[in-house]
Amino acid sequence: MNITKTHVKPLFKNSGYISGLFFLLTLLFSTPSFGQTADDANNFAQCKACHTIGGGKLVGPDLKGITERRDEAWLIKFIQNSQALVASGDETAVKVFNENYKIPMPSHKLSDDQVKGILKYIAAGGKLPTGAEPAKTTAKKSEVSTTQQISEAERFITEKRESSHKLAIFAIISGILVVIILIDLIFTHILKAKWIHYILLLSSLWIIGEWSWDVSTDFGRQQNYQPDQPIWFSHKVHAGQNQIDCEYCHFTAETSMHAGIPPASVCMNCHSQVKEGKRTGKKEIDKIYAALKNNKPIEWVKVDNLPDFVYFNHEQHVKVGKLECTECHGDVEQMDQIAQVNTLSMGWCLDCHRTHKVQFTENNFYGAYKKLHEDLKAGKIDQVNVKMIGGEDCAKCHY
Amino acid sequence: MEKKYWQSLENYKKMKKNTASDNEIVPEFSIDGLDESEIKGKSSRRDFLKMMGFSVSAVALVSSCQMPVRKAIPLLNRPQELTPGVPNYYASTFYDGDEYCSILVKTRESRPIKIEGNELSPVSQRGTTARVQASVLNLYDDARLKNPLKGGDNSDWKTVDKEIKEKLEAFKTDGKKVILMTSTIISPSTRKLIAEFTDLYPNIKWIQVDTLPMSGMRKANETNFGKAVIPSYHFENAEVTVAFNADFLGTWLMPVTFSKQYAKGRKLKDGQTKMSRHYQFETSLSLSGANADYRYQIKPSEEAAILLKLYNEIAKKTGNAIVAGPAVATKVKTVAKDLLNAKGKSLIVSGTNDLQIQLLVNAINNLLGNYGRTIDLNTTVNLKQGNESDMMNAIKSLRSGKSGGVIFYNVNPAYDCAHKNKFVKAIKNLPLKISFATTMDETAALCDYVCPDNNYLESWDDAEPVSGMYSFTQPTIQRIFDTRQFQNSLLTWMGNDETYSDYLENNWKTTYYPQQSQFSSFDKFWFKCKQDGVYNTEQNSADPPPFNPVPLKASKPGIKGLELALYEKISMGTGRYSNNPWLQEMPDPITTATWDNYVTISPSFANKHGLKQEDVVTINKKIELPVLIQPGQTEGTIGIAIGYGRSNAGKVGDGVGKNVYTLLNTKDDSKKLLGTTVTLEKTSKTYSLALTQTHHVMEGRPIVRETVLGKFIKNPASGNEKHEEFIENANFSLYPTPKFDAFQWGLSIDLNSCTGCSNCVISCQAENNVAVVGKEQVKRGRIMHWMRLDRYYSEMEDDPEVLYMPVMCQQCDDAPCENVCPVAATTHSDEGLNQMAYNRCIGTRYCMNNCPYKVRRFNWYEFANNNSFDYNMNSELGKLVLNPDVTVRQRGVVEKCTFCVQRIQEKKLEAKSENRELRDGEILTACQQSCPTDAIQFGNLMDKESEVSKSNETERKYHLLESLHTLPTTSYLTKVRNKNA
Repeated sequence: MNITKTHVKPLFKNSGYISGLFFLLTLLFSTPSFGQTADDANNFAQCKACHTIGGGKLVGPDLKGITERRDEAWLIKFIQNSQALVASGDETAVKVFNENYKIPMPSHKLSDDQVKGILKYIAAGGKLPTGAEPAKTTAKKSEVSTTQQISEAERFITEKRESSHKLAIFAIISGILVVIILIDLIFTHILKAKWIHYILLLSSLWIIGEWSWDVSTDFGRQQNYQPDQPIWFSHKVHAGQNQIDCEYCHFTAETSMHAGIPPASVCMNCHSQVKEGKRTGKKEIDKIYAALKNNKPIEWVKVDNLPDFVYFNHEQHVKVGKLECTECHGDVEQMDQIAQVNTLSMGWCLDCHRTHKVQFTENNFYGAYKKLHEDLKAGKIDQVNVKMIGGEDCAKCHY
Repeated sequence: MEKKYWQSLENYKKMKKNTASDNEIVPEFSIDGLDESEIKGKSSRRDFLKMMGFSVSAVALVSSCQMPVRKAIPLLNRPQELTPGVPNYYASTFYDGDEYCSILVKTRESRPIKIEGNELSPVSQRGTTARVQASVLNLYDDARLKNPLKGGDNSDWKTVDKEIKEKLEAFKTDGKKVILMTSTIISPSTRKLIAEFTDLYPNIKWIQVDTLPMSGMRKANETNFGKAVIPSYHFENAEVTVAFNADFLGTWLMPVTFSKQYAKGRKLKDGQTKMSRHYQFETSLSLSGANADYRYQIKPSEEAAILLKLYNEIAKKTGNAIVAGPAVATKVKTVAKDLLNAKGKSLIVSGTNDLQIQLLVNAINNLLGNYGRTIDLNTTVNLKQGNESDMMNAIKSLRSGKSGGVIFYNVNPAYDCAHKNKFVKAIKNLPLKISFATTMDETAALCDYVCPDNNYLESWDDAEPVSGMYSFTQPTIQRIFDTRQFQNSLLTWMGNDETYSDYLENNWKTTYYPQQSQFSSFDKFWFKCKQDGVYNTEQNSADPPPFNPVPLKASKPGIKGLELALYEKISMGTGRYSNNPWLQEMPDPITTATWDNYVTISPSFANKHGLKQEDVVTINKKIELPVLIQPGQTEGTIGIAIGYGRSNAGKVGDGVGKNVYTLLNTKDDSKKLLGTTVTLEKTSKTYSLALTQTHHVMEGRPIVRETVLGKFIKNPASGNEKHEEFIENANFSLYPTPKFDAFQWGLSIDLNSCTGCSNCVISCQAENNVAVVGKEQVKRGRIMHWMRLDRYYSEMEDDPEVLYMPVMCQQCDDAPCENVCPVAATTHSDEGLNQMAYNRCIGTRYCMNNCPYKVRRFNWYEFANNNSFDYNMNSELGKLVLNPDVTVRQRGVVEKCTFCVQRIQEKKLEAKSENRELRDGEILTACQQSCPTDAIQFGNLMDKESEVSKSNETERKYHLLESLHTLPTTSYLTKVRNKNA
């Protein structure tokens, strides 16, 4: 593999990221806003992956005071499509490009007004004027506190795991207890009151039963599976703190059945500059360089596994169904080490298929369902669930 | 009187004796070869305890096991065009030396998994053959050579190149002759390269060798027209086609092209009532004979005499001179009359490689004015350029001792040469023998150096199968082994550093690009060529060259002796694909036999000589083969398939059948399948054949429905009266009628178009990961194919009419399989599909017993990773061909056709993603996609405008066993024969 190429190539693949964002924008911008609004803060989120305001240089330069340094018209052009400007031979653009190690800044589908908004937001030092609350994005992003060591999601997983451990220990104790009770009941007769035996016996058997149920339903499932990865990669840092869009790295989620584990070259988009982590130093990031240098791919451990006889397609769920990643994968933003949050059992899938609303009127494909459309119009049903269009059919997932 | 249909001779005899065949119970599964305990099914109390102990401990063991750790390994650097999980299609070309086809290669994660037809090609027009479909498996053949060999030992390219170059140089200075023996090469760039190679080494003589040449036709056209060419034919323009021993729908010259044309002339779509008429004169029953309206049985030695009689008949009517010829019994008056009525719109072809016969064929075509109309001499076919006399001269010169060496490319004379022993002796002591074989075949095993060629899916090339129609081969996968394309080897030995892909590109840049005006830059032109896979130039529409008559003659038909008719099987061809298990297990559409070749004899011959099916006979006291009684075989002749009896094919193909190439007719330095007389002697041995014929019997119900054209014109519903009856009397049920909203998938099969070529069977196998089970299991009726071609005979025992019917899951709305499943593993979907959830199936096989169509298959064994089934699914390499979207079924579950639900889902998702409605014709099932006659239509029955709905509107439509009220969504259209009513 050619390392020099890595700088350029993956940037063409950001369409998922951009279109996802574009979708978000179209939802948010019902009326174009000229003043500095909460939307600008949201728009700036995509800049944050590479830029800071007064926080020093990341991949791209620090943006503090950028509005004073550069002309606004030039900035709009550059932000919308930096490579076009560089290609046109604009002196400043070429200079900026060269100064930043020739890492092209991806083009952004932002309107002039939107860019102006972002620039105002930057000029204000990344603060919103009082009264402008941060708009709620469609993605339910919980507040992230950098100081908090263990997040809600992680604690939940740990608790669940511990409780199942506890249950196992109880079950073993109960087993021993059953033996003791039986010995006493039949041979030793130390306790005279037999009802104690029976109560103890019943409750022990109850615990053993519950444990057995727990184990057997869990058979073949991997809920709370949290393997060690070859690189100590934290989603909490990337998706949480840095607010990098999921589909920036998992860029095939909208175009393929696989969401895709990003190629190492995608890591290099940022890590060609970010060479040191706050918590792990150079140790973990160096593994990416080593992989590229030795031409040896990184062997990640797959966390969310489905059995071989199940066909699952990300495009269907993410692009067509417009599901959020978190609905299946949990609050990834809060996890340092990724764990499987849901059971991924068939029952769990079907629960959603039975209740989840289809983009029925929005997507022209569903125009073929004439009767359902009539029912919807007539008010016989108020929404169309996946179930109503065959979401419970075996051959939707098994073939 | 109603016609009676039968499937096997036993069946027929019973029918004749009026014993009702439905009293006979044909066991679906044979118990032959099972242990006594298995047959009795006894298990003692001890066995029970043992089993219980085992299961308890197994469960305990399994439950204590950890889940396996699965890795997700991304690419370091993703190529732009590769998205994991999304297939890429590349246009390419299949050419193996015999057959040409323009194809699309479906790749997943950079590995080719399926071949589809390329609709942009005017030659193959989206059609393929079974062999083309199966060729993808050859890429993953374990028998492929993994690096160059020297003296049978592993070597490397550097050593091999150095030594070969030195030797070639030495021969050049000594002036010692070297022969470069190749198959017919249709690639203009390769031809140019070989010319340059032989210019550099003038001592190298290049000859082209065909296993089955067509030099007779080339010579005849040279005599009559001054051009030694094979013309292109237009069966679609012929109202009357007469074929003599030419299986143009199955194996002759360009079966895909001809099938497309033939079907076009016989489609009864949109109220059309015109249909071409097809006469077939042949010795053994072939696919074309099976489809003919009238079939005549002839002996090979009579062919010339019959052609002359036909010529005289036509000459008489057109006022031309009559040529005296030998007498022959076959009546040709009606044929001549039909031909005269269709002057200029008829076509006579003969598949016999004989100058005399081809001259007669030319003379008749000329009398009828077919040149320039159904036969185009200006657009020529470039296949089959080989000449047997070149081969004979080569052997002579190799034996003379003057030759220094021989180089083989894509030929295997040590296996398929008629003078095998002579040939082997001739090359034995040569100082230099080089082979480019991809596997250690019979010839490569005799060579000093083997420089393995790439598989065609790893290669660059171009092709010009028909003059002016070009197509391109491009690699669809990185080379799997350390192999090198033949052309690259030549370039290296020429001391040229260029790769062949550059050479090819340069050749197109300098030769073809300047000839066109459509593209402004070469890059655009070249990109388009690679993207489309084809490039066509203006066709020459000049008048046909003048006909130069020569005196005609016909040799006397033989009276004595048993005449032999060798033939090519649709699956095996000339034997290149012996190691391909898909093709070995493909039932022959004529005999329904798998895994063997055999002697086909007529029923009356069998009676006369007291021969039974599977009796072993010796041919010429040398070759032992079993007998297969084949209705339609001409009295006094026998047929044997070539392409079997390989000794160096690989683990699958070695020792399957017998090699009969030594029986080829090689009189007059030509090579003919027909014309040898042989002796046949019975032995006391028997040999069992794996036929798929005697199971899946449908017990004499009105299954295939047919009529003749005259009746059809009067009443389009003729032959389909039973459908009317059903609608009126039996179309009711206690079950509620199923209702659908948006989609109900349906399939319509036009029995009038289906020729029985079995392309769909292999296409389905490749798409749906269908397992190969081997001869023993086929014999027990356990073949796993999801779709089969039922073959029915009608009328006379010795001269039957043949009907084909593709049968796959009928996806019934009132499915009998669904309500007997105790675990609801098979259920009905919202889109009318009869679903099968393998992970839920517990293998009771109730569904199989209750299915009236017998389309469900049970996995009696684990077919993947099982050394007892050592085919592609038991090899790491072979498994790469599996379709990742389809589950590989495990032991103990039932499987069946799903209407390619993975393709339905894929296209639905595509439509959803693009925010549009699904288009009709967008979803193509695997069987439909590459059907060379477009006999299969798939679509949405809820959409009244869809093609499938429209064909269901016609009065020819019926359902299989509709009286059972299973309400299948697969429908059939009656077969119409163009016969006088």
